[in-house]
Amino acid sequence: MTAGSTTTRTFAVTLTIPDNEAFTAYETLGRLGIAVARVVRADIWQFDADESAGDLARTVASIEAIHNPNKHRLAERTSERPANGEVWIAPRDEAPATTVAGRAIPGVRAIRRRTAWRLLDEGGRDVAPAELDRAVETFLCNPAFQVAITA
Amino acid sequence: MAAVAVVVFPGTNSEDETLRALLAVGLDGELVHWSQPERLARFDAFVLPGGFAYEDRIRAGAVAAHDAVMDPVIEAAQAGKFVLGICNGAQMLAEAGLVPGTGPLRRPTAAFAPNASGRFQSVHVHVKLAVAPERVPILAGIEPNAVIPAWASHGDGRLAAPHDELARIERDGHRAFVYCGRDGNEVAPPNGSALNAAALVNREGNVLAIMPHPERDAWTYQHLDATRDATRGDTAAALAPSGGIRLFEHFARAVKGKVPA
Repeated sequence: MTAGSTTTRTFAVTLTIPDNEAFTAYETLGRLGIAVARVVRADIWQFDADESAGDLARTVASIEAIHNPNKHRLAERTSERPANGEVWIAPRDEAPATTVAGRAIPGVRAIRRRTAWRLLDEGGRDVAPAELDRAVETFLCNPAFQVAITA
Repeated sequence: MAAVAVVVFPGTNSEDETLRALLAVGLDGELVHWSQPERLARFDAFVLPGGFAYEDRIRAGAVAAHDAVMDPVIEAAQAGKFVLGICNGAQMLAEAGLVPGTGPLRRPTAAFAPNASGRFQSVHVHVKLAVAPERVPILAGIEPNAVIPAWASHGDGRLAAPHDELARIERDGHRAFVYCGRDGNEVAPPNGSALNAAALVNREGNVLAIMPHPERDAWTYQHLDATRDATRGDTAAALAPSGGIRLFEHFARAVKGKVPA
């Protein structure tokens, strides 16, 4: 999507090593009685960039605070919304950042970060939407300062 | 003697200082690990100390709030026993819905959210009692407008809640302490906290969640001003109680007041 001369680019960063945070979420959701066989988590980074950003994917891949090639996989998404079966947790009153780890990115005017969660059943399918909603309401999102974004 | 459990989670890092403060004010304190919830039944009060329970995964305090060891703590709080949460412990109490306590259990209506700076901060602060002393029976005998020194040392200490909930917190006296200077005059919070809040208390006044660490200003050598500098070379003076210990003295008075001698 473009706003003026900017385009929003969305990247997902996942761990290639075991994801302790996802496992902890899995354990807690199990304690809450939510039937889930596997939890998948990703960091979502969105950049409002203008043409001067150049090869943004390459730039993002080189910023270790976002992507460490020894343990992360970086993929650009075609949509700036969550995929079906996925929920993004974002700050409620978000002021987009302009730097990452104190570093500005040329051509990038705003940076937003979300956490994406996907809950899978024994067959590797997304759990029912009602089950995902229950996970969000009871654990994944604190509505006092966060919002849950679905497709 | 009144017995207080200091509940230790994986990642807690302030249990020893907290226990030392509790022992110094005449309480019988004991560390209880998260894997031992069955041990908690015998205690008269509970302290959830600071640190990073479960590495603050998902959100600060969120995983711990759902831990099995919190079940007896929540039951005790509902039965009127005193529960004090400091820093990470305060975050747990908010996530558990015990403070401000205006919604269902474990459905938080407020949060100690990431600092406005987006960074972890460690600064010496003072906090002032912002409610009538009768509103905080967990701090028995505390004087009106009491000022207590402490260290604010957190990445997630900003009170955040929807506007109507913030109004309720202020109106109904849930904002127990505010940030202030040494003279008691309010100052801007170091973390962007709404209502300048440094601590929340529940309706009954038996659960207190305070973000800055009073146990880290419990002894003069921990106090950040000339008082500390003047004790150099004088061990006894350096180890003398400092202002933060007063919060534990009032807590002890409250706990002892509920327990037959």
